[in-house]
Amino acid sequence: MKITKNMKKLLYIFILLVVTFAGCTKFEELEKNPNLPSEVPPSLILPTVINGMVYYPWSAEQRWNQFWCSNYAYYDDQQYDWTSTSFNYSKLNDVKQMVAEAKRIGLPENNAYSALAKFFNAYYYVDMSMRLGDIPLSEAMQGIDNTKPKYDTQKAVFQQALVWLEESNSDLQKLIDANDNTLTSDFMLNNDLSKWQKVVNSYKLRVLITLSKKESDTDLNIKQQFSNVIGNPGKYPLMTSLDENLQFIFNNSTDKYPLNPDNYGFTATRNNMSATYLNTLVDLKDPRTFIVAEPAPAKIAGGLTPQDYEAYVGASSGESLDDMSTKMLNGEYSAINKDKYYGTYTGEPSIQIGYIEQCFNIAEAINRGWISGDAEDFYIKGIQASWTFHGADVAANWTEYYNQAAVNYKGNNADGLNQILIQKYLGFFQNSGWEAYYNNRRTGIPEFLTGPGTANSERIAKRWQYPNSERTTNLDNYNAALQSQYGSQNDDINSEMWVIK
Amino acid sequence: MYMRKTYTVLLMFLLIGISSFAQKMSVEGTVESTNGESLPGSTVMIKGTTTGSITDVKGHYSISAKSTDVLVFSFIGFESREIAVGAQSVINVILTESGQQIEGIIVTALGIEKQKSTIGYAISDVKGSEMIKAREPNAINALTGKVAGLVVGSSSEILGAPNVLLRGVTPLYVVNGVPVQSDTWNINPDDIESYTILKGPTAAALYGSRGQNGAIQITTKKGTSNKKDFTVDFNSSTMFEKGFLAIPKVQDEYGPGDHGRYAFVDGRGAGTNDGDYDVWGPKFEGQLIPQYDSPIDPETGERTATPWIARGKDNLKRFLETGLLSTNSIAIASNSEKYDLRFSASHSYQKGITPNTKLNMTNFNLTAGYNISKKLRIDANMAYSKQYTPNVPDVNYGPNSIIYNIIAWGGADWNIDDMRDYWQPGKEGVQSIYAEYQRYHNPYFMSYEWLRGHYKTDINGYVSTTYRFTNHLNLMARSAVTSYDLFRTEKMPFSAHPYGREEGLGDYREDKRSLFENNTDILLSYDQYIVPKLSVHASAGGNIRSFTYRSSYATTDYLNVPGWYNLSNSKNPVRSYNFYAPMTVLSGYGVADFTYNDFATLSLTGRWDKSSTMLAGHNTYFYPSISSSIEVSKLVTIPTVKSWKIRGSYANVGGALTTSMIGPTSDVLEYGGSYYSPYDGPSYINSATYGIGLIQGSPAASYTGTINNIDLKPRFSSQWEAGTDVSLLGNRLGFDFTYFSSIDGPDIFPLKVSNASGFNSVIENGLKYHRKGVEISANATPVYKPNGLKWDVSANYSTVHTYLKEIYPGVDKLNTYFKIGDRMDKIIGTDFVRNADGQIINDGSGRPIRNSVPQFLGNADADWVGAIRNTLTYKNLSLSFQIDGRFGGTILDYVEKKTFQGGRNIATVEGEMGIARANDVLGIKSYVGEGVVVSNGVAIEYDPDGKIINNDALEFAPNTTATYLQDYISRYYGTDNAVNMSRTFVKLREVVLSYNLPQSMLKKSFIQQASISFVGRNLLYFAENTDIDVEQYTGTDSYSGLQTPTTRRFGFNINLTF
Repeated sequence: MKITKNMKKLLYIFILLVVTFAGCTKFEELEKNPNLPSEVPPSLILPTVINGMVYYPWSAEQRWNQFWCSNYAYYDDQQYDWTSTSFNYSKLNDVKQMVAEAKRIGLPENNAYSALAKFFNAYYYVDMSMRLGDIPLSEAMQGIDNTKPKYDTQKAVFQQALVWLEESNSDLQKLIDANDNTLTSDFMLNNDLSKWQKVVNSYKLRVLITLSKKESDTDLNIKQQFSNVIGNPGKYPLMTSLDENLQFIFNNSTDKYPLNPDNYGFTATRNNMSATYLNTLVDLKDPRTFIVAEPAPAKIAGGLTPQDYEAYVGASSGESLDDMSTKMLNGEYSAINKDKYYGTYTGEPSIQIGYIEQCFNIAEAINRGWISGDAEDFYIKGIQASWTFHGADVAANWTEYYNQAAVNYKGNNADGLNQILIQKYLGFFQNSGWEAYYNNRRTGIPEFLTGPGTANSERIAKRWQYPNSERTTNLDNYNAALQSQYGSQNDDINSEMWVIK
Repeated sequence: MYMRKTYTVLLMFLLIGISSFAQKMSVEGTVESTNGESLPGSTVMIKGTTTGSITDVKGHYSISAKSTDVLVFSFIGFESREIAVGAQSVINVILTESGQQIEGIIVTALGIEKQKSTIGYAISDVKGSEMIKAREPNAINALTGKVAGLVVGSSSEILGAPNVLLRGVTPLYVVNGVPVQSDTWNINPDDIESYTILKGPTAAALYGSRGQNGAIQITTKKGTSNKKDFTVDFNSSTMFEKGFLAIPKVQDEYGPGDHGRYAFVDGRGAGTNDGDYDVWGPKFEGQLIPQYDSPIDPETGERTATPWIARGKDNLKRFLETGLLSTNSIAIASNSEKYDLRFSASHSYQKGITPNTKLNMTNFNLTAGYNISKKLRIDANMAYSKQYTPNVPDVNYGPNSIIYNIIAWGGADWNIDDMRDYWQPGKEGVQSIYAEYQRYHNPYFMSYEWLRGHYKTDINGYVSTTYRFTNHLNLMARSAVTSYDLFRTEKMPFSAHPYGREEGLGDYREDKRSLFENNTDILLSYDQYIVPKLSVHASAGGNIRSFTYRSSYATTDYLNVPGWYNLSNSKNPVRSYNFYAPMTVLSGYGVADFTYNDFATLSLTGRWDKSSTMLAGHNTYFYPSISSSIEVSKLVTIPTVKSWKIRGSYANVGGALTTSMIGPTSDVLEYGGSYYSPYDGPSYINSATYGIGLIQGSPAASYTGTINNIDLKPRFSSQWEAGTDVSLLGNRLGFDFTYFSSIDGPDIFPLKVSNASGFNSVIENGLKYHRKGVEISANATPVYKPNGLKWDVSANYSTVHTYLKEIYPGVDKLNTYFKIGDRMDKIIGTDFVRNADGQIINDGSGRPIRNSVPQFLGNADADWVGAIRNTLTYKNLSLSFQIDGRFGGTILDYVEKKTFQGGRNIATVEGEMGIARANDVLGIKSYVGEGVVVSNGVAIEYDPDGKIINNDALEFAPNTTATYLQDYISRYYGTDNAVNMSRTFVKLREVVLSYNLPQSMLKKSFIQQASISFVGRNLLYFAENTDIDVEQYTGTDSYSGLQTPTTRRFGFNINLTF
């Protein structure tokens, strides 16, 4: 067979086709995803890490804190029929990557990112443990090397967290002393390491107070740790005013306040104040009443004025929603103050770790005898800071308010502690995430209301179930953790974890 | 080098040798039609020569030929057939009429034509001519019920993609042997000669991994199909959509509000329940209530109450219009010895039933073949398809949906006719008029101002050249392109405020996507009797698949100037995103068919792929198939059995990291649906790194939750099938039965790991599903009278279910709810807590307790799918009708759920509910729900699966606590299991009455053929609840969505050939 003219033609056509379409990109180059980065500077991860901490106001947690209620079941309720909650490990992985990326770009061993990472670690582990109990820590965060980490006890988690907080404080001190200015893109504290150091120490006080039921535990030694912080203000600087709060600021485009002009028509009448919070304010004739709530229309129609405390009524969080919604329609309950909370896109800052709480934590430690000092002073500072935060006029109202027997500090005794805890609860209104609930869980103060509206056979749940995925991915360790904590593998939301026993 | 030369020489010797051994001999036989009638005057030609013969009056012929020759049998009006002589001295041939390919030649993968009897796997064909009369807006919809194992869930929405499942999975689309990226809307039915459905993966060697799920192969019309040298075909069809098949039934007795109370102040919450309301308001009794259009008292500035009456009765029905579907096509075909040519143009216009919605589709198709010489031929095809519309509706649940606005949350307090003038006087372009301003929208305002444009151009085509070395050996080189350019826009006017856009300041968006794929093949084919009685057809080839996808998405963040839809008009910074995905796959493949004595065939295929989506070292993989068929009827003669074939096949298919569909580059919208287009490109799931999002308006990175796997291997799946088909009583009765069993896996999947590792999953090889099913089809001709009266009936039945077979070593549960052995179509959702006797347990408020752990509620898949079609023909008249349906399976009816929750469902005003509803308005709790309450004060304890663990400690008493109907329904219908309904449905799919003008009438005109048909589609629908049409829900999704009501379609069709 000769190569004919036609075959030549065919050959040309074929070569042309191959050349035209085969392209010339290197085959192996095509494996990579050209659309996402595989390396980023640590400053690009920091906002994710900080943002992950944030608890928003007017959220479900704030209903479980019994500050407010949904009366409209289609959108929400305040039921404690909890199931599983999520872990924080993916957030912790961002913390870990932030440290690794800081190292990659050549920052020294101790740098702003690594120092803050220790605080974030403590925060995220404690946050998880408070919802769940025991959690993996010593074997966690090892990626493919350990995909079934064992659980550590809640006590071990707290011990490690306290170590991290100690280290974070001293690492930050070194950086502050060296005028380190490598931190960027911190949208919460504007890259101010001194402010972060105060947050770390303030948070440490929260952690220690959380452990109040363990005050005799010699491994933890919490009284001593608390007193170390208070006794060495040079080494452990603390917040001195509301200006030093760790707080989330809302803006009018990308991060709007959860209540704003956009959603007034959705929620303004479908939510109302909870009696646990509002009725306490009313009982204490607290001017915050007029700031956070509106009077119940039926009371106004009945002749009361908006200046009468009696015109303000919160609903029991335990009330069935068929009753709560119709009573709200009848004007029997107080709505959220619409001018204050629905009037703007920026609302008010959302405190995550704040000065108000710090005051009450110190007052509580003094009341409990952990440290010496004037509990009443911190009690008053805490209340006044909260008033200031809400815009209540301290100068005009304080004397009258404080002269009431129910408000006037009753000393370092159970009654005084009760006052501190009540005021702390009032100070937590719509901020600091779960803290109001945790304090109630630890101390029983204030008493939370129950009924058909709170479900769970009218009990306040004590914890969440572990993430569902643990039952398929880490069953043996999961079962062992349940068994050792609660004496049963039934992941029960009504069981009591170590920290409150 | 030396070796290669030796092979070439060897091959040449072999070829030359074989041809030189061929001796001339006499071949004879008869030519018949499929009805068994002899065909006198048929031509029998030796291929490539001018030598030939003609059959006599009995259809008998004889010819002198060599064993290497190929005989070409042809007769006017019949498909011609080619048969290699081989060792046969008697060749009897059955020719099929054009347009009636019941038996005989079938187009298999790569466009290779095969004798149906030699195919060892399930394959069905449907003539294109069956599909162009009773038109569907989407060509693929017309395949519904035509093929056992093929399930088409037509969408009732304009441009809504049908859910097409072949054996439970999504098939590949192939046009003229070339895989194409098809959204199914770019298929023009007028150009289609036939659809061939390859049900299994056996063809995957030829199409690559994408053939794993079977293929819908389309063969377009070519210039050679008509004997006349120049023909013009004209087809015109006009259909109207009118009369509802499925539409929610709503009450028009109560208006919007809550617990019977409503008063309008600003429609944004300042009045009594005047914003984002439910339809649980006051009864329409003419009482005076301030309403959106009540006059404003100039002194007080407040609205003067006006009578509360049901002015909006039947708003939806009055809003919807008659739909129209009009298609016109013209095709010109010509051929000679040298060339064949066909050009067609068609246009389809669809007007939706919601106002101002439409879709235009224009298609051009050019097919040409040219014989450069007897040995060299060039074929080319170019198909251009354009879809364009300024507005298609978005019915997905939310304020973007007209259905949401009218049916679920709109009351009868406003009249749809009052909404036509939709701008507020003095605020034109800025503020629309409606009865509410927080969440809902005026339907006419949405229809005429909130526009979603869609512009897509598909270009598919190929150039192919074949060189015939000898009659037995040829080489084909082909380069094919499949590409699309998509441009979608959304213009959202001021005062529209869907989810997440509550400021209502308008928006403009652009979604651009462009896909280009080239497949270049070279294929050497050999076809010969290697020894007497044993023929071989073997091909070997290579393929380069070059793929590029680019997309971008940009949106304003509110607008500055109302009505100016441009990205530069953004109030806040524009958000824009882009994506680029290149890919190359190199392949080598081979097929070999061995046929012994014309009754036993063995086919082998194999393919190697090298894919750029896998990491080096694991990017090359091989997959084979084997199939066999035996024509038993040629071995033994069984009375009345005309033909009987048994067949079996096995195929294993490899694949890499690709994903079949792709959505917008970024899904920043919080409302509405996302449009997905065909992709088949890199998934990048094993190259996860950082994700980038916005925090406080600035970019921020978060690390992947997925652990990449450098040892990841390609995925594989394998399927075997066995089947038989039998034809009895001279083709008057036929059955086809297939059983298949597919092991889908080991796949590539994200294996969940404890989140405490810092990650959620690791990409692994594993996860196997077992998919199996049965397909049966039957056809019969109970009546066939000499006077021309004929009754044909065909029916099909199929079933398919998927089971979890294997996950990963040491893992026995997938996503909490799936154990090994479980069906994969389980519906999981919220359920009521029930006592041991199955009674609903209520709480202290008299309302059901909802289980906080989701429960198993039923299976989604149909138990079986079936269709039956009857055709009656008498002389020039024919009547056909098809009934089909799917049987079994459950679905959660979202429309039912939302109409109950919203207080709009008609059942809320009927019976006991109706009485309680009247009491609600009066402030009287009177509804006592079914079930019990815990009577001994013991708390209910649950295990982590939500099962009660202290049943023995609980005592129950009947529930006697009355509550408001509204609150009862809110809890009851807030629970998924309340709206659990059967997926079973039956449709009278199509009725076609056709009249072919008799030849005697046309004889003297220039018209060759003419027919007119009266057609109806989707005429009747039967289902448990007709508030939705369940047909489109073919998948395993638990919930239906919202949908535009479905309608009947009537019309007529004219078909002319000049």
